[in-house]
Amino acid sequence: MSDGKAALAGMRVIEISSLSGAVCGRALADLGAEVIKLEPEGGEPARRDLPLVPVEGGEESAAWIVYNLGKASVTADLSTDAGLATFRSLARSADIVVTDFNRMDIDKMDQLAALAFAENPAVVWTEILPFGRGHRFERLPATDTTLQALGGHLYQNGDVDRPPVRIGLPVGLLQAGAEASNAALMAYYHALRTSEGQRVDISVQECVTWTLLNTTMAWQILELNELRGGAIRKERANQFFTRLVWPCQDGYVVFGPVGGGGGSARVKSYDALLRWMAEDGITDDILTSRDWNGDGQFFIPQEDYDAVTEVIKGFIEAKTLAELTTRAVEERILMAPINSLGDILENPQHAARDYFRLLQDPARGLSVKLPTNWVHMSETPVAPPRPAPTPGGQTAKYLNEKTETESAT
Amino acid sequence: MRKGIFDGLKVCDFMWAAAGPITTKQLSDNGATVVKVESVKHPDSIRLGGPFIDNKPGINRSGFFADFHSSKLGMAVDMSHADRLEIIRPLVEWADVVAESFRPGIMQKWGLGYEDLRKMNPNIIMLSSSLHGADGPWAKHPGYGAQGAALAGIQHMTGWPDRPPATPKGAYSDSVSPRYALAALMAALIHREKTGQGQHVELAQIEATVQLVAPQLLELQLTGHETQRSGNRKSGAIQHGVYPCSGEERWIVIECETEAQWQALCAVLDAGDRLVQARHAGQDALDKALSDITAPHDAFALSRKLQDAGVPAAVAYKGSDLLDDPILEAREHFWPLHHEEMGTLKYNGPAYRFEKTPTTLRSASPRLGEHSEQVMRDILGFSTGEIEAFRARGLLS
Repeated sequence: MSDGKAALAGMRVIEISSLSGAVCGRALADLGAEVIKLEPEGGEPARRDLPLVPVEGGEESAAWIVYNLGKASVTADLSTDAGLATFRSLARSADIVVTDFNRMDIDKMDQLAALAFAENPAVVWTEILPFGRGHRFERLPATDTTLQALGGHLYQNGDVDRPPVRIGLPVGLLQAGAEASNAALMAYYHALRTSEGQRVDISVQECVTWTLLNTTMAWQILELNELRGGAIRKERANQFFTRLVWPCQDGYVVFGPVGGGGGSARVKSYDALLRWMAEDGITDDILTSRDWNGDGQFFIPQEDYDAVTEVIKGFIEAKTLAELTTRAVEERILMAPINSLGDILENPQHAARDYFRLLQDPARGLSVKLPTNWVHMSETPVAPPRPAPTPGGQTAKYLNEKTETESAT
Repeated sequence: MRKGIFDGLKVCDFMWAAAGPITTKQLSDNGATVVKVESVKHPDSIRLGGPFIDNKPGINRSGFFADFHSSKLGMAVDMSHADRLEIIRPLVEWADVVAESFRPGIMQKWGLGYEDLRKMNPNIIMLSSSLHGADGPWAKHPGYGAQGAALAGIQHMTGWPDRPPATPKGAYSDSVSPRYALAALMAALIHREKTGQGQHVELAQIEATVQLVAPQLLELQLTGHETQRSGNRKSGAIQHGVYPCSGEERWIVIECETEAQWQALCAVLDAGDRLVQARHAGQDALDKALSDITAPHDAFALSRKLQDAGVPAAVAYKGSDLLDDPILEAREHFWPLHHEEMGTLKYNGPAYRFEKTPTTLRSASPRLGEHSEQVMRDILGFSTGEIEAFRARGLLS
């Protein structure tokens, strides 16, 4: 069984970041790496990103606190020789350096990467950029929302009678941060076995494109540009509009009862739904008028689909979220509540899996539960959450280490 | 050509649907030998999800399936056959990693739970990915990424405040969990490289996806304020929206975070007075004014003009635009690969680039059971006679 040792114990990461680099560093810290943030005096700008939350002595960014748990902070002014000397000294013992385009521009990245490789040829330099490296667009300005658009995702969200809508979270940057964590580890795995370091770059645009799943194939194969549909859309390149969001008494559920592929799970789910409807006396002929999830499920005429879902919609509208959720879990019906944020905090499944862990952060006056236990590793479990650092909280510790190294050599 | 990072790594891959195969695709495209094992009777369900070539459903015709299975070998085994382990056991003994994304309990039913695998191969790393996780009251509740997005709060954050939540494109949680799954798998591989010890890595799609709303969960606990979907509004921005342009379903994103960007926007659109007035009147008025002004413009030309002036702007790309995008082309994002039944299609390459160990999409997706014989003979060392005997007993397609 586990001796509690972390998977990445002994790995050192330098992080010079805003949001996306921090998400990367946080995943590495959770897996056991020693992550040292390099911040300007007073802390990096992302400490003020919205939304701000009240903490002891003022306010601080919620995202910053969450994505910087368990890290150390060293302050250094990277525009000065002294600051660069601190960076070089830390790079000497680092396995991975991670940075992102909202924290520094490409010229600064190149300067620091060259210094890092000069000190340590085995280091993995990881950079998150809007469009990646090595082409004429690498300096094109971008934000999370323009990248949600250029990745092809924004176009497909929202109601057809209004403009497309973004996901109301910086998902491009967050997903790119998570992607950077695995790409950096792949390159580190190579360095571990060969002592060869390298540069790794991550494109936020490509990360967004990877959230589409089948859009680029739908165009190539069918010349079909999938269109947004709000609660009702053409699911999985269907030729007809399917309802995905269903109102109930006190909220909404996501449900795909018929059509569009889903294999045997959807067949069983529909059978379970019909049993339940029959208990309530709903046995309309249309429910069984054809094999809705069998042959021809991709080509159901729109009017037939609308007719059968009208009956199902009436049934769902009369139920509460609790009734629907309980029965769906019991009978394996392919249905899920559209959770609010509060619902996520109360979800019994998360509680049963010890997903939320208590963060005790006395310096900030925080005692809150956070979703930090995101992977179960039998031999190297994720450690309980540790507070995010104060600006330069560990500067003395690492500068002493630098001095000791220098005197030893 | 240089070898990929995972050259020599051996993976027995029971992943299916989207999240799992996207994870193991990162291994195969970087050089690992990934053997995708499918059940003859219940092949990967996204083989049955469109788009299908020529719009005709067929087991080897789905572009949805194809995109997640580049560089993999495919074998088809009757997993319901009592003697299935005669084939699967040697595959597990061969492998460094066994990956699976079945409903919890299926692998155990087949005699392939983590403890079983460890007996066959003591240093094995097992990666298990499911929607809700391996235990807990919802463990066996079925669902896809659409349900995952709903449960993880992504849907709550998408759409208009006066309308039901909109469905984000894609099985959204299927696109989040591979990134975290791969990070954890890499950590396990690194740990094994250093210590020789394998382990079981288990994660839930929804738990990975909730990472994206963690700041909002903190805010809710500390302030009582629950963030809601808000169309295209963004706190702190001077202006942030999506506006119509000329042509069918053409839209442009424009975003001003700074006064300098705002001034540049007013100058490029040559509508300073009107926009300043609208800004004073509020966000609704500003969106209306901008919509009126952008409507006759070509989205691509206007976005270039705004970008040149330092204003963040972008065309809301359609699927077809991605395939024509000069940025993705310069990035060499798409990989044309030939498939015997589907012809040549452009597969999506990764979102990362390694300077010294390039990723290579080596082959198109396997047809069901395409490499059964090759795997049995070249990897597992069975003779032609033995392979025929397996076929005769119905174990192998």
